[in-house]
Amino acid sequence: MINISIRDLRRRVEGIIGLPTIPSTLRQISRVIGDPSISLKEIGEFISNDPALTSKVLKIVNSAAYGFPGRISSVSHATVLLGLNVIKGLLIGVSVFELMQNTMCGLWEHSLGCAVASRLIAKKKGLEGYEDVYVAGLLHDIGKLVLILEFPKEYEQAMEEAEIKGITIFEAEEEHFVTNHAVIGSWLAEKWLFPYNMIEVIRYHHKPYLSKSASIETAIVHLSDILLRAEGLGFAGDPFVPVVSPVAFEALHLSKMDLREILEEMRDSMEIKEELFLS
Amino acid sequence: MPKVSADKLEPGMRLARSVTRGRLLLIAKGTELTEEYIEKIRAMGISAVYIWGPSHPAIPKEEALAQLDRRFRFVGNRPYMDLLKEVVREHIENLYD
Repeated sequence: MINISIRDLRRRVEGIIGLPTIPSTLRQISRVIGDPSISLKEIGEFISNDPALTSKVLKIVNSAAYGFPGRISSVSHATVLLGLNVIKGLLIGVSVFELMQNTMCGLWEHSLGCAVASRLIAKKKGLEGYEDVYVAGLLHDIGKLVLILEFPKEYEQAMEEAEIKGITIFEAEEEHFVTNHAVIGSWLAEKWLFPYNMIEVIRYHHKPYLSKSASIETAIVHLSDILLRAEGLGFAGDPFVPVVSPVAFEALHLSKMDLREILEEMRDSMEIKEELFLS
Repeated sequence: MPKVSADKLEPGMRLARSVTRGRLLLIAKGTELTEEYIEKIRAMGISAVYIWGPSHPAIPKEEALAQLDRRFRFVGNRPYMDLLKEVVREHIENLYD
């Protein structure tokens, strides 16, 4: 167990994104989206000024896995169609890709697959805010990235312990740190001024029964996470499938056919990684 | 059903999903690709299309199913986990058929 109070841990987590070890694009994005006075237009201009970022954002929204009907050809078009919170989430999502590849290989695939599956389930359930659920899925494990960056040795130990003891990384984290990646991710989501529902999904995706204001959304990301590990796509820190919350599973009321379709989309989504970053 | 990037398309491949732009149908599902169609797809800036056929999993089926068992080793008897495992098993088996 690391010797640090939860307050100090939170301070370190909130500070880490500003450190020179973090790529400058991500540092800038964090600053821009954490600014309460920033407008959608200004975020659009910020993206447009960076050709690499522009191309990544347009590629992700135009990918088959994203499934937006019709081609979105410009950043200004994307910002109008998708709105502030989705654009903010996509920006973080595309800019942590390399960091994730270098720290926990497979975590980005896990995150992307979770986003795609979450969006599909949300649509099946008729939720209006399915784009927000996509973003929550994309960012649900961002706390893991921060924990590895800040405590690489301890996190490695937690991962080893998970594998040896046959527990999930979530459980191992709680033994090694004063908290877990879900709570840490929610601190970042708060810092970046995401809406309360999204923060709650990230915070409770391992304990969906604790969510009050976004219980269905949280159940969706909870199940998507489990389905990805079940199918063996990506890597999220341990080789085991976590137990599904029966309450969450029942609340979603998905048929076998629904589940098969979700698995199919998840698998397809793995291919957009290449589209996004290798071309 | 693999998604194939536009630069790797070859004549003779068959579309598993229609190529659309918005609600407009461009090339229908089931169409066999010719050089002309491939040119058209590239010219429209479409990055990838779905092609009929297996997705070519990287490991043999037996190994994939053994890994599935390992992933579920500690949770197979918990509520709904047997159901999830069964659906995933069927899905993985289908990738090899």
